[in-house]
Amino acid sequence: MHTVSRVLPLLLAALAIAYPWAVPNYYLVYAGALTVMYAAMSTSWNLLGGFTGYVSLGHSAFFGLGAYGTGLLVVRLGVPWAVALLVSALLVTVFAVGVGIAAVRVRGASFVIVSLALVSMMNLVVQGWRSLTGGSTGLQVPSPFPGLHRGQTHIVFFYLFLALLALALLSWWYVSRSRFGAGLRAIREDEDKAESLGVPTAAYKVAAFALSALFVALAGGLYALWFGSLDPIFVFSILIASFMVLMSLLGGVRHLYGPLLGALIVAPAGEYFLIALGETQIHLTATGLVLVLVVLFMPDGILARFTRRRAGPSIPDESAGQRLQGVTR
Amino acid sequence: MSEVVLSLEDVVAGYGRAAPVLRGLTVPVRAGEVVCLVGPNGAGKSTALKVASGLLAPRSGRVLLDGRDVTGLPPQRLLALGLAHVLQGHSVFREMTVAENVRLGGYTVRDQARLNARIEAVKELFPVVGERWGSMAGLLSGGQQKQVEFARALMLEPSVVLLDEPSMGLDPRNTQVVFDRIDLMRRTGVAVLLVEQNARRALEMADLGCVLDLGRVHISGPARELAADPRLGRLYLGGAPAS
Repeated sequence: MHTVSRVLPLLLAALAIAYPWAVPNYYLVYAGALTVMYAAMSTSWNLLGGFTGYVSLGHSAFFGLGAYGTGLLVVRLGVPWAVALLVSALLVTVFAVGVGIAAVRVRGASFVIVSLALVSMMNLVVQGWRSLTGGSTGLQVPSPFPGLHRGQTHIVFFYLFLALLALALLSWWYVSRSRFGAGLRAIREDEDKAESLGVPTAAYKVAAFALSALFVALAGGLYALWFGSLDPIFVFSILIASFMVLMSLLGGVRHLYGPLLGALIVAPAGEYFLIALGETQIHLTATGLVLVLVVLFMPDGILARFTRRRAGPSIPDESAGQRLQGVTR
Repeated sequence: MSEVVLSLEDVVAGYGRAAPVLRGLTVPVRAGEVVCLVGPNGAGKSTALKVASGLLAPRSGRVLLDGRDVTGLPPQRLLALGLAHVLQGHSVFREMTVAENVRLGGYTVRDQARLNARIEAVKELFPVVGERWGSMAGLLSGGQQKQVEFARALMLEPSVVLLDEPSMGLDPRNTQVVFDRIDLMRRTGVAVLLVEQNARRALEMADLGCVLDLGRVHISGPARELAADPRLGRLYLGGAPAS
């Protein structure tokens, strides 16, 4: 089992690195980059959702803000793209700390609604601030690699998203083994009890919220540099966070590779539906249907089906016969 | 006679704007003693523990821990000061291992050597903890889960442990194990304030018994004597208090 858990990541990494050179056309490289982007984002989302049980749809806002932040720094201030990407992600993380302090005071459905409100507000702000953001007409961001043709750009961004995914997976793995991670999991099971044991629940939830926002903002920034055209309706769409939730749930929120597995299924399926059904809303219906099926039949995700519990139910140490030894009527 | 480590003095407490549940409760708990609160439902037994552990702020009265006024302090502060509360029912983190549950009991301890020493100490007190160290806590039997809760509560070496109905839902055999472990805690010098529906069984092993009625102590005395007191049955069965 230990050998498998050590070899599997290396095997997956080797396959991922070889992917752009193994596929027959650039469209498949593009689809791969999109899949890896969603895998990175859902793994990041899972830093909050998986550890604490807080379901955020507000991560679309961090994606959008990361994208617009990077785009604006490049376009308006002429900041080098790599610096813009990092500065934008850090600013979004600071913003997420502020939002988190207010948002994580509420739990369950109330938290979901607060996170939804955040996306709508950010969408309105970006659309309304035309002089800065370009409003509903969007923002054009120049390519950071003007010498490369579109297909080659897909390859570069495939690897950039892959690096981000590796960073997100490494963070999740590290948190899962840390004292911080144990505190977060205690929050997921029983927040009040965790607090009574001395776990600083409020600070931990905000930290998880901000950490998860950081990677999503980085993904947003890379998206802006990759696509070069930002439409506020798309980048602040609830659908982006819904995909993160769906991918995490499908793969399994309690597992390191759960969101990655979910992304490997949902993102290519989404692309297939788009090709098969065209630019209609039917592919969204299909996505919704998958979400319903997952919640109904696999609430713990696919990986939960394949991972055994560490120990079976408790069995009494002695049989009735042993206990009755020496007992006479 | 050993010193009083926990004292509830003339405590009045209740929930929201409703009439108070505790109406002038006074209970002293001494080091190395088990004090058992018994009484009919609604007498205020669990409420008394909630006030003592900071889960419920009293409307008036005081809670003293090692002579210090700790009235209204939050549970985590009281835990750090040496008061642990094992809640009613099963309160293990079911989807975490026994190891993780026990370590959470010492969450505020930064010193790894001290933490490891405490882990070894609770493993010795509760062998099942060591035996099921890597198991999911939710998969343990009720009696085993209760022992994990006890072990978690003892991680910070509390001077006082509050136990709310520790035998609830357990079969007689596991109930016996739980009472044996309470006796073990007492022998290590821990003061135990115990709330238990299984009144006669609890009074047989406790040092001091207090029968609560309408939020105050109606009868108190050496637990074994109280167990034989005919008034206990009448009060405990919910009839009018004997004069």
